[in-house]
Amino acid sequence: MPSAGAAGASGQLPAHMQIQRDNVICGPDLNYHTETVKQNDIYKLLNINNAWDFRDWVDQFRINVQQKDKLDMQFDMVGIDPAIANAFRRILIAEVPTMAIEHVFYVNNTSIITDEVLAHRLGLIPLNADPTLFDFKTREEAASEKNTFVLRLQVTCKRQGSQMVNDRVYAEDLKFMPMGSLMPDETGCRFAVGQQQMLPQGVQPVDDKILLAKLRPGQVIDLEAHCIKGQGKEHAKWSPVATAWYKLLPEVVITKPIMGERADAIAQECPGLFEVEGKGKGRKAKANSAREHPKLLEKVRRMSGEEFWEDHIRLQKRKDHFLWTIESTGMFTETVRHSVQGQR
Amino acid sequence: MNAPDRYEKFVVPEGLQKISHEKDTKVPHAATFTIQREDHTIGNIVRMQLHRDNRVNFAGYKVPHPLEYRMLIKVQTNGECEPKVAMQDALQDLQNEFGEIAASFAAETSRFKQMSGEPAHMDYQ
Repeated sequence: MPSAGAAGASGQLPAHMQIQRDNVICGPDLNYHTETVKQNDIYKLLNINNAWDFRDWVDQFRINVQQKDKLDMQFDMVGIDPAIANAFRRILIAEVPTMAIEHVFYVNNTSIITDEVLAHRLGLIPLNADPTLFDFKTREEAASEKNTFVLRLQVTCKRQGSQMVNDRVYAEDLKFMPMGSLMPDETGCRFAVGQQQMLPQGVQPVDDKILLAKLRPGQVIDLEAHCIKGQGKEHAKWSPVATAWYKLLPEVVITKPIMGERADAIAQECPGLFEVEGKGKGRKAKANSAREHPKLLEKVRRMSGEEFWEDHIRLQKRKDHFLWTIESTGMFTETVRHSVQGQR
Repeated sequence: MNAPDRYEKFVVPEGLQKISHEKDTKVPHAATFTIQREDHTIGNIVRMQLHRDNRVNFAGYKVPHPLEYRMLIKVQTNGECEPKVAMQDALQDLQNEFGEIAASFAAETSRFKQMSGEPAHMDYQ
């Protein structure tokens, strides 16, 4: 949220209004002050200018990555409006394009997994193909090397002595076909040029060990899977994130000093979140970072409704500080960058 | 049975303009913009940006029906500029803002990767 100290402001908001403007107060039953304050002249009578200035915003906006590994990422975004945070979340889930199997052409399927069930499972496999290399394919357009790539699955289960070979079909059995479909007349997919240059390393599923089907000796699966570019909006298989979400930064505030036995009581109720400082009659409770104790926050919320505690503690959340978690399916590990570029 | 195809959500058919606008006859300096094949993702942030504009008296968006894939944005200005100008400014400001967020994010992730020793390259596996 832009601070009230923009050019032209001739004062600060009273403390309680500043708190209400910046934080959602989490009461025991409801959350209060959940709207964001945007109008320029809302504090006109107090002689405070609430105008939004791009330069001021740029100065106070920041992103801090907390943790990042291959598939998950946690970072903070401070200083944006909830509408933008929500737009990012929606774009991440539904509008970042990826590649997934769409059409499956069967040559033979004698397994007990029916055609449509197997096709559904194939569609959900995450593939590590770069969607920026491909164009979108509309229904009427012909399949070509510019908008499709082809994977082949050919598995026969045999008995070898006392053991079975190929009785489980895994995602790693999908083979990339750079020259396209082997049956262009039936599938309508003709490549003018091979895709070796476009995809020198081919296309693999992100996870090799995804189980697709189980076979018994004599059963065969022989199919061609065509993959096109799509968005999560059309089908969840094209969503690049397992999920992505954000929370607001929580804060536990002590509104009236908690002394003596009360301090002991609260340190016992919420271990780690509240600590007792000092000794003897003057001992006080101190609140630690609420972010590290997420499971105790609802307890604080409930306690702030009880008569014994209601003047002393309060749970509040900052309206413009978002704690993001992005869990990728593995196709790419920096989906946010793409979502932002897509938004532009 | 009556639900439209999923691709209708984002494919703008021939003959329909992505964005069109109608002046409001009853109120001065007001217009309604109809954006085809968009939803709350864009609507909410454009509305938010319009609210930040000094010259805008009224700004709101709605999705009239969840199965009809379009969105309306209604803007009324105080006369200093036309609603079209206010809308253009809002969209431009949003582009700047998102550009800034993109740059900031890219800088921060490469800084984080450097700190943790990973190579800073495009993460396609």
